[in-house]
This record gives sequence, C-alpha cells and structure tokens, in this order.
Amino acid sequence: MRALGVAAEGLSALGARKLRAFFMMAGTIVGIAALVVIMAVGKGTERKVMKRVNNWGPRAIMLISGGGKDLPPPDMTVTTLTLEDADAVREEVDDLELVSPMVWKLYTTIKHEAAQLRSVVWGVEPNWHRAYDWYVSYGEGITAEDVATLSRVCLIGRTVREELFGEEDPLGKRIYLNNVGLVVKGVLEERGTSPGGGDFDNKLVLPITTAMRRVLNVDYLGAVRLITAKPSLLSRQAEDIRELIHNRHHITPPQEDDFRIITPLIIAGMARGISRTLYILLLVLACLSLIVGGVVMMNILLVSVGARTAEIGLRRSLGATRTDIFLQFLTESLSVTLLGMLLGCLLGWTVCLVLANTTQISLVLSWQPYAVSVVFALLIGTFFGVQPARLAARLHPVEALR
Amino acid sequence: MIELENIEKIYRSEGVSTPVLKGVSFRVEAGEYVAVMGPSGSGKTTLMNILGCLDTPTGGRYLLDEIDMVKLDDDELSRVRNRKIGFVFQLFYLLERATTLKNVMLPLIYAEEYPADAEQRARNSLLEVGLGERMNYHPNTLSGGEQQRVAIARALINDPAIILADEPTGNLDSRSGIEVLSVFKRLHRQGRTIVVVTHDRFVAEHAGRIIQLKDGVVTEDKAVAEPRDPEAELQDPERREVAQ
Ligand SMILES: Nc1ncnc2c1ncn2[C@@H]1O[C@H](COP(=O)(O)OP(=O)(O)O)[C@@H](O)[C@H]1O
Ligand SMILES: [Mg+2]
Repeated sequence: MRALGVAAEGLSALGARKLRAFFMMAGTIVGIAALVVIMAVGKGTERKVMKRVNNWGPRAIMLISGGGKDLPPPDMTVTTLTLEDADAVREEVDDLELVSPMVWKLYTTIKHEAAQLRSVVWGVEPNWHRAYDWYVSYGEGITAEDVATLSRVCLIGRTVREELFGEEDPLGKRIYLNNVGLVVKGVLEERGTSPGGGDFDNKLVLPITTAMRRVLNVDYLGAVRLITAKPSLLSRQAEDIRELIHNRHHITPPQEDDFRIITPLIIAGMARGISRTLYILLLVLACLSLIVGGVVMMNILLVSVGARTAEIGLRRSLGATRTDIFLQFLTESLSVTLLGMLLGCLLGWTVCLVLANTTQISLVLSWQPYAVSVVFALLIGTFFGVQPARLAARLHPVEALR
Repeated sequence: MIELENIEKIYRSEGVSTPVLKGVSFRVEAGEYVAVMGPSGSGKTTLMNILGCLDTPTGGRYLLDEIDMVKLDDDELSRVRNRKIGFVFQLFYLLERATTLKNVMLPLIYAEEYPADAEQRARNSLLEVGLGERMNYHPNTLSGGEQQRVAIARALINDPAIILADEPTGNLDSRSGIEVLSVFKRLHRQGRTIVVVTHDRFVAEHAGRIIQLKDGVVTEDKAVAEPRDPEAELQDPERREVAQ
C-alpha cells in the first residue's frame, strides 16, 4: 500500500511537467512504433513466404534447363537437359519420392472448331499429377499407357474449357495443336492465378512422349520436378543433383551452369525480397531510438534529480526512506517508458494501417508486438531509470536541504 | 523527552575536519517551548538536524523518548522522523504542483499505513493554523506567512512528539512572522513540544526558555521570565516595531 502511494508521487511528478514528459518518452514512442511496424512487416513477410513456399511445394526441387537466375524461362530454348539426365537423377540420388520430367511450350495456339486460344502446353509423365498435387476434377488423368503409346490425348484447364467449349461437354472432343488432334480426356482442378498474375488454368497437358515426338519435335526437357521423401535432406539432395549434372554436362564450376536448381529456400528468399532489407533497417531504427530515447530520458531525469534536491530533502525529512525515493524516481522512468510504449503502439498501429492501405508491403497485425513492447518498456525504464533513482536515493537529507 | 549528552559533530571533507558541535548537553521536557539561539554559523542548524534525526552526531548520546537515536539505522531514523518529528523550515519547502491540502497530506504517504481519514486530518491540521479557507489553493497563490502556516499544518499532521523549526520567520515580513509565532504559541498552549532555532532574539523571546549556542557549545540556558505575547503584538503596531 505504501509503495503504491510512493509510486503515485512519481506519476504526479510526471504529470506536472507534460512537455518534459513528452521529450522523455519521444524516443520510446518512435522505437516502439518502429518495433510494432517491424513485427507486422516481419509476420506479413513470413506469411507471404509460407504461402509462396506452399504454392511451390515445400518438398519440391526443380531442375530447370538453362542458366541464369530467373524462374522458368519464357520458353524452352536450351537443349542440354535430357530424359537421360532425369533417369540418372532417379538412379543416383537417394530418397527422392518422385522424379517428373516435363516439356512445355508457352503461348501456343490451340483450336477447337472455330474457337481458338493461346495457351500453355505441358508434356508430362503420369507422376506429374502427384508432383504438383494437381488432379483432374472430371474425366481421367495422364496414364503410363498414354505415355508408352504416345497417345493423342490431353487434359485442359478451366480457362481452356470455357474459351473453347463454353457450355459444351469437352470430354471426347478434339483440340488441334500444331495440326495434331488431341482428344480431351479430363478437366484439371482449378488453380487460379499465379503471384505474377499468370493464369494457371489456361493450360493444356498431354503425355510427355506425345509432346516431344508428335507436337514439339524436341529431344530435350524443359525441367524435372523432384519431390523429396526426406525434407531434411532436401538441400543436400539439391547439391548432389547439381554435382551429378555437372558431371554429365562436363561443367567445371567457374564455367557457367546450363541448368538451375530451385529449392523452397530459394523461393522463400525471392518472396522475402526487399522486405528483408526494410526489416533490418527498421530493426536498427527501433533499437537506436529505444536506446537514444533511454539515454535522453536518463539525462532529463538526472537533471531533474539535481533540480529537485530540495524536494528530495523535504520528503526525507517527512519520513521517506532511501527506498521510497528510489521507487518514486524509478516509477517516474517506468511510467515514461510505459506511457511511451502505449503511444508508440498506437502510432505503430496507425502506420501499419496506412502502409497496408497504400503499399504492397504485406503486414500482419498481431498481439505479439504489444507483449514485446511491454517487456522492452519495462527493461528500458528500469535500465535507464535506475541510475537517476539511485542518485536521488543516495542524497543525504541534510545536503539536499541546504 | 529529549536528552542530549555531550553531542559532538565534526564535519570532515577532503582531509579538513571542522568541529561544529563541541559537546552540547541539555534536556527538553514534553510540553516545553524552547528556543535555541545563537549567531550565524554557531551550529544551530547542525544541532537541529541531529535533533530531527536527519543527521547523526559524531559523538555523544541522543535519547528521544528514552530511545538512543545514535544506534538507529537510516530506515529506522526515517520512521522516527515520520512518526515523532514535525519540521518547519525557513524556506517552507512546499510542492508547487500540489494543493495546500495535498501538501499537508504528504507525510501520510510515508506512514506505515495510510490512514483512512487522511483528508479529514489534513483539514483539521489546516484549521489549526487558521487556513481552513485555503485548502484547494496552490502554494504560489498564498502569501509567505500563509505558506509557512501550511508547512506547520504539514508538520502537525502525524501528531508529532516534537515540532522543530529552523528560522521559521527568516523569510517573512514582521507581521507574517508574528502570525507564525502566534501559531506556535497556540500549539504550545495545547501542550505540544516545540524547539525553535533562530539567530533572532525577538523570535527567541516568544519561547519559555532560551538555550544560547556559541561556537558549538551551550553558553547559557535559562527560562524566559515573561515570554512575548504574539497576540498582543498583532494588536499593537508599537510592539511589532521591536521585531524589525
Ligand atoms: N557539510 C558541512 N561540511 C563542513 N562544514 C559544514 C557543513 N555543514 C555546516 N558546516 C559548517 O558548520 C558551521 C555551522 O553551520 P550551521 O549549523 O548551519 O550554523 P547556523 O545554522 O547556526 O548558521 C558553519 O561554519 C558551517 O560552515
Ligand atoms: Mg542555520
């Protein structure tokens, strides 16, 4: 009870000089606001990353033909990745659940009667369905027999179905692609749009052999999608694959690769993009202003102890113990940082709302930053408040009253 | 009530030791009104600080209510100050940001238990010093004399065993000074124990006994045959002149 009374004295000292109190808490306000924004950005980024990685497939490695750093190239222009490479990977790299080679052609005209459409064409093996967890919602998928017999069949996405067939039932109908007629045997599940804005459902999928020999006339691959059986080994498997292809393609490292290996880690890195830099920048800003704010507060309090020696002497004469004086000043610094924290949270929250409405930055508001802020406020209030409080408590009453 | 035996105080700083009190002994009984008088620098404030348990002597014995103050630690001395001693300082020392009432209640914060009737006690205290009308004023709106009376009300709130005043009129004009002295007189009549420290003979002569202090020793200690009457001085400007 007595401690409460003493604490109230610390609070009232704060209220009596509002401008001074504001200067004391300015650093805390900015620091905590930055912290709240940082955590919202961090959480938003992680959510975005998770989503991208999940879209990509957390267990998926892509071995893509052609060097460079971009994701799959606009078209298959590099001829070095072959079915034999895919077989070698299957043979020599352990713990791969599946290896799914594929070829593709972007923006190819496909026709049905009078209707036509520029669509993305993929030639795949039967395990493509599992590799992408992408099945038919209607009809049948690509089978081993389709691949073995180079059968003239295809699967279509929703966009293709709507554009070429309208209300008509597409099953058993023929689509022409480079003058090859393909019978529609299934309709793919809807996937919507990619993060880049591409339409996943504007797609035509056919057996890889049909695609290579009848339609595209190629003897090389666009990519191989691999699914690991042991996610913890994924990075090592990626390196094994790299070494294997190096050997097969006779590449020695200073020489540029003619293939790329994309892992979920790389996808995550790309998804983080500049938000990582922003994150670090804000973190530095937050820490700096919390520390600078703490030092400013400490100095104002130290000056205030000097200016209030008479008050301290008086309180001692009225029966305040050293502990009482210590508590009073510590309460003052703690209320500065806690109040600063409240205002900082409010400011940070406002900034988050503005950012969310005016920029592309992904933000997630959660309760954690507020919990972290309380801890920070208490830590800083204590750390920078102890020194002035001790100074005040150590004053000898007689000296203080002189 | 108060028993000083051979009290010594030597200030030591940077190798220089300054003896200020060189063996001071006297007793003050409950209900007495005593003035400690002496020229500036004679050690009056030092003595009052020791009496008020704000400082400890470097030698001698100090019994307050039969308890040896020299043996107490800092926290215990703080408790004694809170419970038994009411200070009145030359510079009033009121908190500008608090009302009169809050200023008077300040010592209660440091009491072992905050009394339920704190505000009532503060009101009564202010009534005792004749400031019942000024409860919600801030100190800077009051005259010097009124401010010192607020300080006296604050000293009274814990019902102290003794009131210690160091040059209580030192910062006041003569009329305000006499008003303050008349408050002391009234408190004395109610049976309170008061020690006033002053260099001013006129002020000292309001007490029932004057202890003369010079160069750290008591040179004289005797009763005042006829203590001055502040009420009469307030009525009679002639007598007030003496105060100048
Ligand atoms: N902390 C101190 N250190 C050294 N000397 C001091 C200290 N406090 C007081 N003195 C000296 O002690 C003497 C008595 O001071 P004080 O008790 O204030 O006298 P008074 O109140 O009678 O004027 C003075 O000479 C003063 O300079
Ligand atoms: Mg003095």
